[in-house]
Amino acid sequence: MPPAPKDSPTPPVPKDSPAVPVPKDSPTRPSHAADNLSRRALLGTTATAVAAACAPAPPPPTAAFVGQDPDVAHRLRDASFARTPISRDITTEIAIVGGGVAGLAAAWRLRRAGHASVHLIELEPELGGTARGGQLPRSAHPLGAHYLPSPHPGCHALELLLTDLGVLLSRDARGRAEYTPSAVVAAPTERHQLGLLWDEGLYPARDESPDESAQWTRWRDHLHALDARRGADGRRLFNLPVARSSAELRHLDRISLARYLDDLGLTSPRLRWAVDYACRDDYGCTAAQLSAFAGLHHFLARGLEDTRDGHTLTWPDGNFHLVRAMADRAALADALLLGTAVTAIDPDAGTLTLHTVATGETTRMHARHILWAAPRFVLPRVLPRGRDPLAPGALTYAPWLVASVELRARPRGVGAPLAWDNVPVQLDPARTTSLGYVLATHADDPRHPGAVITYYEPLPGDDAAALSAQRTRLLTGDLDHWTNHVRAALVAMHPGIDRDIAHIHVTRWGHAMIRPVPGLLFGEALTTARAPIGRVHPCAADTAGLPLFEEAFYSGVLAAESALTALGRPTPTIVET
Amino acid sequence: MTLPTRPAPDDRPGARLLLASVLVVATCGLVYELIAATMASYLLGDSVTQFSLVIGVYLSAMGLGSWLSKSIERDLYDRFILVQLIIAVVGGLAAGALFLGYAYLSTIRPLLFSILIIVGTMVGLEIPLLMRILKDGQDLKDLVARVLAFDYIGSLLASLLFPLALLPHLGLVRTSLLFGLLNALVALLCARTFRAQLTRPRVAMSQSIAIAVLLAALFAFGARIERFAENQLYDAPVVFSNKTAYQRLTLTRWADDVRLYIDGNLQFSSTDEHRYHESLVHPAMSEVPVTRALVLGGGDGLAARELLKYPKLEHIDLVDLDPGMTDLFRRDPMLVALNGGSLLDPRITVHNTDAMRWLEDHVRGDAPPFDLVLVDLPDPNNFSLGKLYSHPFYRLLGRALAPSGVGVIQSTSPYLAPRSYWCIVNTLAAADLHPRPYHAHVPSFGDWGFVLVSHQPRTPPTTLASVDLRFLNDDLLPTLFVFPTDQRPADVEINRLSDQLLVHYYEEDLRRGPIGRRS
Repeated sequence: MPPAPKDSPTPPVPKDSPAVPVPKDSPTRPSHAADNLSRRALLGTTATAVAAACAPAPPPPTAAFVGQDPDVAHRLRDASFARTPISRDITTEIAIVGGGVAGLAAAWRLRRAGHASVHLIELEPELGGTARGGQLPRSAHPLGAHYLPSPHPGCHALELLLTDLGVLLSRDARGRAEYTPSAVVAAPTERHQLGLLWDEGLYPARDESPDESAQWTRWRDHLHALDARRGADGRRLFNLPVARSSAELRHLDRISLARYLDDLGLTSPRLRWAVDYACRDDYGCTAAQLSAFAGLHHFLARGLEDTRDGHTLTWPDGNFHLVRAMADRAALADALLLGTAVTAIDPDAGTLTLHTVATGETTRMHARHILWAAPRFVLPRVLPRGRDPLAPGALTYAPWLVASVELRARPRGVGAPLAWDNVPVQLDPARTTSLGYVLATHADDPRHPGAVITYYEPLPGDDAAALSAQRTRLLTGDLDHWTNHVRAALVAMHPGIDRDIAHIHVTRWGHAMIRPVPGLLFGEALTTARAPIGRVHPCAADTAGLPLFEEAFYSGVLAAESALTALGRPTPTIVET
Repeated sequence: MTLPTRPAPDDRPGARLLLASVLVVATCGLVYELIAATMASYLLGDSVTQFSLVIGVYLSAMGLGSWLSKSIERDLYDRFILVQLIIAVVGGLAAGALFLGYAYLSTIRPLLFSILIIVGTMVGLEIPLLMRILKDGQDLKDLVARVLAFDYIGSLLASLLFPLALLPHLGLVRTSLLFGLLNALVALLCARTFRAQLTRPRVAMSQSIAIAVLLAALFAFGARIERFAENQLYDAPVVFSNKTAYQRLTLTRWADDVRLYIDGNLQFSSTDEHRYHESLVHPAMSEVPVTRALVLGGGDGLAARELLKYPKLEHIDLVDLDPGMTDLFRRDPMLVALNGGSLLDPRITVHNTDAMRWLEDHVRGDAPPFDLVLVDLPDPNNFSLGKLYSHPFYRLLGRALAPSGVGVIQSTSPYLAPRSYWCIVNTLAAADLHPRPYHAHVPSFGDWGFVLVSHQPRTPPTTLASVDLRFLNDDLLPTLFVFPTDQRPADVEINRLSDQLLVHYYEEDLRRGPIGRRS
C-alpha cells in the first residue's frame, strides 16, 4: 500500500467495521494467470529490469493541479466576490444552476420538450461537474465519474437518453439493447493485486481458507436470493432511481452495511475487503460508514453483475463524454454561462445575481423557475439568511483525490494482464489503500505505445470533523506532496513504474459525492433537501441521496418536467413509474 | 645460475589445467562470436553485413583486451578467474538477452555491440594473462607455440560444433548458456586448483559456484525461453524487418518463396497465398454483384488484388491499423509485384485506423452500405484482436452490409484451432448473420477456415464468376463447404466483448494441439 504521508494519518477504520469488498463478478481464471506468470510476464520483468539498469534516467514527470479551483469555490463560500454594478439583465423562463449531469439532463429534457427558454449557469470554466474530463497529450481522461453500467430494462428514460446520444444503437431480434461497441468495456475488465501477483476479477480468492470460500459463496447466494425477490408491493427491492425501490427492505437504511454483514456472520477478511472496496469505489465511504440499504443497492439495483447480461459503458474521458453529448443536444449556445458564479438568489422573486469570474461583471437574471443542480450544500450560501429549512451539515460529502497519469509504457505486472480496472488489495482492515487505477486508454490497441491511467482515492471519515480534517489535508497539501503520494501508490503496485511517468494531473475534490450514511435515504433530511424553496427546485444527485449518474439524470429530468408543469406547459413524462 | 637447457614441459599441477582451459576458452570465445553473428543476421537481416560487422567488432575488441592486459600487474590468478566469470555471465546470457531485447527494445544494435565489446575484450585479455601465468615454467617459444595451438584448435572445434551439433540440437539460447556454464566451470576449477595463489580464494570459489548454478538453472529453463524465441526466428533469410508503431513486420525470402511474418506469426507464403486469397474472396464474389467492397485488415493488398479482378467493382475501402504495413506493400517492388499494385489502384481507399472505430463511424454516417465486407485480420491471439471477432463487432458488420450483401471472415484453422473456429461461427450466428462455414487446404497454413455470412439464409455457392483463378474451380467450390467427421462443430460459447472467451479458446486450442492429437 502507498505509504500515507506523514502529516496525514491513515483514515481510521472503525473497529466494528472491517473493511470490505465487492465482487464484481465471476472468480478468477487461474490457468490464464499461471500461463502469463510463467512466460511473458517473467521475461518481461527481467527485460524491464535490464533495460532500466542501462537506460538513461528519463526526465521527471510534469505535474499540475487540474479541475475545480478551490479558491473560486471558497470566494463563493466567503461571499468575497467584488460587488460591481449590475451591467445587464437577462430574462429567462428556466434558469439551471450547475452544469453537471443533473443540470444537463434537465437542459436536455427541456430542449426535447421544446417550449421554454432556458439558461444554464456553471461556476467552472468547463461543464461536467464531478463528471468533468481532462486532456493529456496521449489521451483524454476523466477527472471524476468515469463509467455507467448499461441501464436495466426498467430504465426507459435513461435508454431514451442513450439512444438520443448515439450510445444505444438499436435492439437485436430478442429485444436486447445494443451499445456502441467502443463504449463497452472489453475484457480484460478487472484485476486485483494481492502481494506481488495480479489475478482477474475483484475478489482475492488466491489462498483463501475453506471457511472464507464458504462465506463468499454464502454472500453470493444471499445476493442471488435478494435479486430474485420482489417486494409485497410488487416492486424491485432495490431500484434506480432509488426512490422507486420497494418499501420492503427500507428499514435496512437504518443500519450500516458492516453491521449487516456482521449479522449474517460474514467476517472473512477477503469478503470484507471486497465489499469495502465497492463501498469506497461507489460512495467514498467504508462499509461501516455506509447504510446497508445503499450498500445492497450497489450490488442489486441494476441486477447482479454476473447474471444481468449488461455492460459497463465508458469513454476515454469518462462520463464527460455523456455530459458533452447532452450539452450538444441541449444546444444552449449563448444561454450557457460558463465561469459564472451565482452569488445570490431571491427565491420568491426568481432573481439570481450572477458574477462572471473572469471579468468581475455582475448580471441579474430573472427566471420563473430555478433548477438548483449544483451541490445542495452551496444553496444556503446564496439564499437569504434563514430561508433554507435544511439543517446545516444534514448532508455529508466525501472528499476524493483523483490523478490522471500519462505513462510512456503500458503498466505490466506479474499474473493477469493489464485490465480496465486495476485494484490493489489490502486485507488488513486497519490499513487502507487507494482504489487503484482505471485505464483511460483501454479501448486503444495495446500496441499503441504508452497509456493514460486515472488513479482514484477517496478520503473517508467517520463524522463531520474527520471529513473536515481530510478536506483540509486534501486542500493544504501542495502539488509536490500529492504528486509524490500518487507516485508512491503506483510504485507500490508497479515497482518500476516511476520512470515511465511523463505527466501527473491531480484533481482534488473537496465534496466529490453525497455519503449515503444510515438514515439518509428515507429520512427527513433528504425530503427537506429536495423540497422546493420558492421558485428554487433543488435537483442535483445529492438530493437523491446516492452519488450516481442515474440519480442525477432522473432528478434533473423530473425537475425539468415539474418546472414545465409549473409554467403551465405540462408535457407527458418520459420517466417510468 | 643454471639455465635449464631444455625445460621440461611444465608439470606443475595447474599447468595442464591452464592449457586445457585455453582450449575451452578459445572454443567459448568463437561460439559467442558465432551466436552474435547468427542472431544479428536472423534478427537484423542482411547476413553478409551482419557477419562482417560482428567479426570486425569482436576481433578489434579482442585486440583492445590484449592491449589492456599490460595494465594488469598483480593478482594474475584472481584476474584470470574474474575475466572467466565476466565472460560466463555476459556470454552465457547473450542469446537470451538479444531475444528479449528484440522483443522489447526498439533497436537491439546497442545491446548487440555492448555484448560483443565486453566479451571480445575479456577474451582478448585471457590469452595474454594465461601466457604470463604460464611463462615462469617454460620457454617463450614453447609457450607461444602451445598456447596458440590450443587456441586455434579450440576455434576449429567451435566452428564445427556450432553449425553441426549446437545450433540444431540446443538452439541459440541454450548454446549460449551452455558455454557460459563452461566458462564458469573453468573459473571454478582454477579457483580450486590455485587457491594458494589467490588473494581471496573463498570469494572466487563462491562467485564461481553461484554463477555456475545460475547458468545451469537457466539452462534447465532454456526450453521455455526457446519457445518464446522461436516466434522471433524464421527458417529463411530475412530480407526486411521493421518494427512499426504496432507490430514487427518481417519478410523472408528463400528462392521464390517470400513470406511475411507479423510479430513472428506467418501471414502468407508467396508459394500458396493464392489458395488462401482465392478462397477468401471468390466464393463470396460469386454470390452477388459487388460494386462497393470493404476490406478490414488485409494491409498486404492480396485480397484486394483478387477483388480488383472484377471489372464491375467500383470502390474498395481498406481499413488496416498499421500504416507501416500498407506503406510497405505500396512501396516495395517485390511486394508490389506480388499484390499487383492493388494498393496503388485508383479504386481503393486505404484507412489506417482501428477497424471497430471505423465501422462505428461508418454506420453512424449516411455512407451507403457495402455489397461485400471481407474480414482478413490476424488470428484472435490477444484481446485487442479478439474484439474484432466479438458479437458487437459482427452486429456492426451486419449494419454496414447491404440487405443483399455478403460477408466473409477469415476464421483461423478448424483443424488446428477447432474451438476458436466454431466460436466464431456461433458468434456470427448470434449476431443474426447466417453463417456458412467452409475451409480450404493452404499448405503453409494447413486446413484453413472461413465463414460466409449474409442477412438471409443462403445455400452454398456452386458456380464461380469467370475470372482468372489458379486454385478454385467449379468442381472444388461445393466441396469447401463440406466438413469431415472429425471436424464437426464444437460445442462452444459465443465471443462477447466483456469476457472474450474466444481469446481463451484460441490459447487453449494452441496448447492442446490439432484435433488428431487430442485424446
